[in-house]
Formats: sequence, structure tokens, C-alpha cells
Amino acid sequence: MGQIILGVGDYGASNTPGDDVKTFALGSCVSVIFLDPKTRTIGMAHIALPDSSINKAKSAEKPGYFADTAIPALLAQMTKFGCDKRGKGMVVKLCGGANVMDTNDTFQIGKRNALAIKKILWSYGMGAIAEDLGKNYSRTVVISVSAGQITLSSPGKPNWLL
Amino acid sequence: MVKQISQEELQKIVKSVPMLSASASQLLQITANADHDLMDVIKLVRNDANLTARVLKIVNSAAFGLINNITSIDRAISYLGERIIVSIALGDCAGKLFEKELSGYESAGGDLWTHDLRTAIASREVVTQSGAEISPELAFTAGLLHDIGKALISDYLQGTVSEAVELISTEEGFDYLDAEEKFVGFDHTRAGYELAKAWQLPEELAEVIRHHHEPANAKEEYRALVYAVHLGDNIAMMGGFGTGSDSMRYKLDQQYTDYIKIGPKTLATIMLNVDIEFEKLASSLTSSGEED
Repeated sequence: MGQIILGVGDYGASNTPGDDVKTFALGSCVSVIFLDPKTRTIGMAHIALPDSSINKAKSAEKPGYFADTAIPALLAQMTKFGCDKRGKGMVVKLCGGANVMDTNDTFQIGKRNALAIKKILWSYGMGAIAEDLGKNYSRTVVISVSAGQITLSSPGKPNWLL
Repeated sequence: MVKQISQEELQKIVKSVPMLSASASQLLQITANADHDLMDVIKLVRNDANLTARVLKIVNSAAFGLINNITSIDRAISYLGERIIVSIALGDCAGKLFEKELSGYESAGGDLWTHDLRTAIASREVVTQSGAEISPELAFTAGLLHDIGKALISDYLQGTVSEAVELISTEEGFDYLDAEEKFVGFDHTRAGYELAKAWQLPEELAEVIRHHHEPANAKEEYRALVYAVHLGDNIAMMGGFGTGSDSMRYKLDQQYTDYIKIGPKTLATIMLNVDIEFEKLASSLTSSGEED
């Protein structure tokens, strides 16, 4: 019974009933969540930027930081729990990717993150069945491994499920 | 019903905040002077025994991993750089204000300091990466101070978060500044500006505090600096480090492009650098504190 807390650029997985997998205050960052019904494993990556080409050293040290390196890293991590290495049979959900108000194209990092993630998922033949993306507020994510339930929260709003 | 703060009450709140130490105050003056050099900072720190001790402790903390201890204050300051000295001095004399729990924004103690440090780093990065003709050190200091008004009005905003969030999501063009003004009579930039006057901050820093959400209203001579901090603030919030309920709930002033040129790739680099720099700076500032 523990908590796995993922910071910016972290990724992790658990199949321990009673564990919670958490990440705090996604702004323009996007959380990719994999739920594997077969092994009852939950995986999540807290992705900050779309493309690792801007800093290869950083992506080697922290692959979860960039969309293109986070998804392979998370899938590899989940194979340790007996999951399929290409994500076969997994349920995918996405959340985060907020933008500030009156944003322009340059500042739409949230949108670019979500697009990059979808493109990479596509290359694995995966697609999200649920998403809560965009808008102008931060989101905190708590996933219960036992129930596979994803709860989102943001100050001033009642909690909601993804 | 939330109570509006009268002008007299605001003055009382401002008066209840401790004054800056002489060293911190002079450091801010030095930073704002375009012609200053590091020697001015060194001279000032040398005359303050407490600050000297703190600086030496920090430079020799585990965070910097130096093999040989630095014992000379001149070398310590050259190594750390002006912005870290300013962070130490401000943290020492106004730490309580920066560390305050912002319950009116449902934000934990320490969040404001983290947001301010990240804004400071981001504002400096905006300047250096865009090549704008603004002092990077001044952008950093202005970023540290920009949101100080939140610490003054937060207590009065308690219980308003749900309604503020609801208004912003339903009323076109309504942002968190409007919410603050509606509930307590003025927003955090005006409250902060009153403190800036009481602290006798240099005019450029006061202008940043007053106009960081609406840089177009800043005096022309300081407008580029105010835009830099405007972007730095937004970048800190986008990175997930705001101060609770108001995070991301402000408008980006797209006219920044008249003063600062950055494209998507540069912005991504800035966001990454903020994470890297913050880790270094935060661990160095706290590692020294733990030994106290």
C-alpha cells in the first residue's frame, strides 16, 4: 500500500493493489496513462515537451520528459510487470495539456504535447479511449491501482473521473 | 460574504509587513542600475556579516559539490552570481512573506516562493534566449518579486475560490485579476505595488509588480522588462508551478511579440532550462537552511 508520486518528466508503473499513482498540477504537461486489464498494471508518464531533439542529453537522463522518448520508456517499464511490449490490449487515457487564456500558437505547448503523444501512440496502433485535455486550469491526477480509477482535481472544482 | 479591503486597511496591511533589510534594499537598487558590476555586490555583502556567512555556507553546501571549500566572499559571489545573492538576501529578510500559505488561493506554504523562483529563472531565460536588450539579472529579481501582493490579500480571499473559478469559466474575458477585484476591491498587482512603494523599490521593479499581467500599461521605458516577466510568469504556471486556484487563469498579452522574439522551439528550450536551473537553485538554497 503505497504512493508512487511522479514529478515532471517521471514515469512509473505498479500492479500492487492499494497503491496510488499520483502526479500534481499538470499545466501544459500531459499525463499518458496506460491501464493493462490482463496484468492489472497501471502506468503513467508526466510529459513536459513534445520532442527530445532539443536536448538529447536530457532525454537520455530523463526519457519521461519528452513525448517521443516517454512512451517507449513507459512501455518498457511495464513489460517488467508482464505487459505486452507494444502495448497490446492496454487501455490509454490522456489528461492535462492546459493553455493560458488568450494564448497564441507559440504558447500552445499543451496542444503540441497532446498532438505529439497521439502521433506516437498511433505508431504503436494505440489510441486514447478517454481524454481531458486543454482548457485553462491545472490538473492533479490520482490513479487507484486496485480499481483502475482515475480521479482528477483542480482547486475550486469538484473532483471528477476520467 | 467576503469583505472588501478599504484603502486604509490596505495601508495597514502594508505597514504590518517587515521592512527589507538594508542589504536587501541596497542590493535591489544595485541590480536595477544598468551600469553596476559584480564588485558593487561584493562590497555590499562584505559589509553584512550575516549575509556573508550565509553566502559562504551556501556556496560550500553539497548542492554545488565543490572539492575545495571557498573561504573568500569575493570568490563565493563570483561563483554563485548576483541572482543567487539576491535570492538569499530576499529569502532571509522577507522569507515569511514568500513562504506564507496562500489559503485564499488554496495554495500550500512554500508554493509562492517556488513560483517566484521559477518565474525569476524563466524571465531571465526569456531575456537571454530571445536576445532582448534587457538586463537578465534585473529580469530575475523582478520575477522574484512580481507576485508579492498575493501574500497581502490571500487571507481576505478565503472562501472565494469556487466562485472565482466558476466566474472565469462562464464569463467571457473574466480572469483571476477580475475575481480578486470583485471579492476584495483590488487585485494582487495593486496590493503588491503599495508594498513596493513602502519598501521604496526601484521604479522598474514596482512597474513589474503593478503591470505583470497587463504589460501594455507599463511605462514605455520599462515595458520590455515587464513583458519578459509577463512571459516568465506564464511559463512558470504552464510548467505546473502556480499558486493554486489562479494558475493559468490569466491572459497572455500577445503584444509581447513587439518586444520579445521567441518561437515554439526557443520556448521549449526555456521551459526545459527552467526545470534544470530550478533544481540546482532550489537545492542550494534549501540545503544550507537545513543545517541552521
